[in-house]
Amino acid sequence: MKTKLIYAFIAISLFACKEDDENEPVTPIIPNEEEVITTVKYTLTPVMGGTAKVFQFKDLDGDGGNAPVITTDSIDANVTYSGTLEFLNELETPADSITNEVLEEGDEHQVFFQVTAGDYIISYADVDKNGNPLGLSTTFESRTMGGSLTVILRHKPDKAATGVSGGDITNAGGETDIEVVFPINVR
Amino acid sequence: MLDKLLILFFTITVISSHAQTCELTVFGKVLDKGTLKPIEFASIYLDELTTGVVSDLSGNFELKKLCEGEYHIVISHIGCETQNILFRLSSDTTCTFYVEHSSELINEVTIEDHIQESKSQEVEVLNARQINQQLSKSLGQTLEDISGVSTIKNGNGVSKPVVHGLYGNRLLILNNGIAQSGQQWGFDHAPEIDPLVANRITVVKGVGAVEFMGNSLGSVILVDPKKIEKEPHLHGKARYFFNSNGLGNGVNLELQQYNKWFGWKVNGSIKKTGDSNTPNYFLTNTGFEEYNFAAELEKQITTKWTANVYYSSFNTQIGILRGSQVGNLTDLQTAFEREEPFYTQDDFSYDIQNPRQEVNHHLLKASTKYLFSEQAWVELVYAKQLNYRKEFDVRRGGRGDKPSLSLDQESDFFEAKFHYYFKNEWHLKSGIQVNRVNNQNIPETGILPLIPNYLSNERGSFLIATKSFKKLKLELGARVEEEIRKVATISISVPREILNFENKYLNYMASAGMQYSFNDQFSMNYNVGLAARNPEVNELYSNGLHQGVSGIEEGDINLDSEQAIKNTLSFATKKKDKYFAELLLYHQYIQDYIYLQAQDEFRLTIRGAFPIFKYEQTDAQIYGLDFVTKYQINEKLLTELNYSFIRGNEIDNGIALINLPSNSILSSTSYQIPEVKSLKNVELQMIHKYVFEQRKIIEEQDFVAPPEGYYLLGFRVSAEKQLKGIRLEAHLGVENALNTEYRDYLNRQRYFADELDRNYTVGLVLKF
Repeated sequence: MKTKLIYAFIAISLFACKEDDENEPVTPIIPNEEEVITTVKYTLTPVMGGTAKVFQFKDLDGDGGNAPVITTDSIDANVTYSGTLEFLNELETPADSITNEVLEEGDEHQVFFQVTAGDYIISYADVDKNGNPLGLSTTFESRTMGGSLTVILRHKPDKAATGVSGGDITNAGGETDIEVVFPINVR
Repeated sequence: MLDKLLILFFTITVISSHAQTCELTVFGKVLDKGTLKPIEFASIYLDELTTGVVSDLSGNFELKKLCEGEYHIVISHIGCETQNILFRLSSDTTCTFYVEHSSELINEVTIEDHIQESKSQEVEVLNARQINQQLSKSLGQTLEDISGVSTIKNGNGVSKPVVHGLYGNRLLILNNGIAQSGQQWGFDHAPEIDPLVANRITVVKGVGAVEFMGNSLGSVILVDPKKIEKEPHLHGKARYFFNSNGLGNGVNLELQQYNKWFGWKVNGSIKKTGDSNTPNYFLTNTGFEEYNFAAELEKQITTKWTANVYYSSFNTQIGILRGSQVGNLTDLQTAFEREEPFYTQDDFSYDIQNPRQEVNHHLLKASTKYLFSEQAWVELVYAKQLNYRKEFDVRRGGRGDKPSLSLDQESDFFEAKFHYYFKNEWHLKSGIQVNRVNNQNIPETGILPLIPNYLSNERGSFLIATKSFKKLKLELGARVEEEIRKVATISISVPREILNFENKYLNYMASAGMQYSFNDQFSMNYNVGLAARNPEVNELYSNGLHQGVSGIEEGDINLDSEQAIKNTLSFATKKKDKYFAELLLYHQYIQDYIYLQAQDEFRLTIRGAFPIFKYEQTDAQIYGLDFVTKYQINEKLLTELNYSFIRGNEIDNGIALINLPSNSILSSTSYQIPEVKSLKNVELQMIHKYVFEQRKIIEEQDFVAPPEGYYLLGFRVSAEKQLKGIRLEAHLGVENALNTEYRDYLNRQRYFADELDRNYTVGLVLKF
């Protein structure tokens, strides 16, 4: 009797181990990576009219794999441009615009522009719902030196911290969602 | 082991039978289990009569003028867990209580089997009283004071134990005999076990765990609940704790009974803690909450056959310091340079926001044991575990409600074990085990998963033989284990596609040990073991940004198993009631040690450039020593000193291994008084801890240099009081009494914030 019960226990246990014995792992479902930003596009349109200049950073496979492709342009000296930033997710077809998401949560985002070895002035041309700068629209005044431009998008920065509304990132905090560098040539 | 009063058995001999009512006497004696020498000052208390006596110099005591009937006898001794024994009195009786004396630190009987079983490997035990002294602590933190054991943390809420420098999937944790199955690979994934369910936690500083299935390169932590006592009355304990730092509160209730038909036990905990604070600021979003439950049923079917079912459930939500979520390397650098973390709030809060973790773990264990004879028995165990882990980050576009990581793991384990004691003192133990783990990502994250889906099937068998001679004990063990793991992962290249892999591993493990007692005072222990660990899925298949550490981590699908040889050698000397000292030396050679190697390149992404880390293999060694001493200055004053030293490096270039604990010294002085008025077992303790700076790490190995060494001062006061039917135990404490500002090398939160400041703790235990 007892022996039988022990056998029964073994049998039950083994059965429990085998019950879903398809022997293959669950096939992963490829996620809809709607949050990813693959492309940053900065378009400078001369205020007085003329051809727009386009600067683009594109990394179609996200963080891994192939290196990103950076396309640059030459700007004219002493011209005032109106700058527009666009963020795209080109993993999706058609490409998904992240710009709207940033715009909707404008109070939780801010774009910072840092000029290295160049001489031009970028100022904010838009505000969020609290009247703080956002940075999707800018005014770009060129001089004679290009250098490079670093565009940084911060999520949940402290917009009230010292210098942040003036475009100084030092005290902003938050997480960096985008940090790309464009070389700028002046013609 | 320290301060444990283990009553092995007690014998009752009837010496006369003139059963007049209320004229009965119990003559008793309390003896040390190991040396058979008498124990003085043990308190013997009769609960029903609310009276008690204390044992004399010869360990003797007398309880007079007792009526016929049932009594609960409470036996307690300084620094020990109090025992409650049901006693049926019908005539004058002589009884002997065999207790284990407190100064014995090693060679503890670790597993309460039908016949005692001893191990030759180094063992340290935390008993119920020590667990009660730190009711608010997690499993990892509870073990921190043991020499050679430390914790690797991500803030106060997430801590994993480290034994002899190994943790995660190199260290095996057994929850009620079952290898904990979950996402053990993560640096910030704590073991899902409530220490309050346990009555005893054992750390085997071993060389090879041939008996157990699962990944281990030597050491094992066993978390064991107390067996259901064969007591027909309802008994239990209620526990409460409070922590001033974080305003943490917790309650735990345990009930048990062994009625005519079966024994049962339940245990439940609720814990809630808010934001902790450092000397200068709150750690915003570091609160956590826990809801745990365990239940057990045991049936003695016949005298030779028992069956047991155990269920436990662990549920937690843990806040991760808000300022520790960073987007890229620049953010990380900025965070390092700040005095206080970003997002630090001025006020305390119990709120838990993103980033946070939600973890649920369930264990169901059914076991049965059949005794063929006193010398031979068989045990069958089936266990099922479910592990659900969700991690939430701060995300854009209202996606914070969706986890960034969502993993479900289901495992089924079966084991059959056989024990046999031969007449010539050989003891054989063998078993077979099968385990199946099904791990899957829940597709709700909208993020490429960090680790792939996999299905793993493991089979193993082992044989252990021990033989005791007069002064020598030998142990030999061997194990063979096979794992077939099928993996389905998503490609990193676009268009995304499913890639399938299969990993096969066959490992052989072996261990040998000997213990030799020169005389009553000196003994030595030597163990050597060969162990193996298969590469974990994250080491094979990771590919992408690990946001928490701002690095790109790349796995390598060609990694081999790690093979380790560990040697331990210890010398112990002791003199009862005077001193105890033990020196443990260990060396572990690990062939194909898997580690993250920083590469000389950076990868440009849309978030900026990130350093690349690749999982690589090298031959490495870890070695060190644990030194433990105790000295009884006089009857009331006891001092202890522990020192741990550990080093580890790659063999070919001598570069230090990262994430090894710092060397440390722990010293304590206790003043113990068996009785002060109505208070029993009063103990005042002062604890000093010094942790040395980790100096071997070179600049290229870390984003910031390891923090400086630090000194912590702490105090503990414990006392017990016997009321009718209830024993009250109170523990008060102060941690970091000097408000030291410090950071610890093994806490990842050190990049962002200081450690906790002064903390007052209260722990109350009611036993009934």
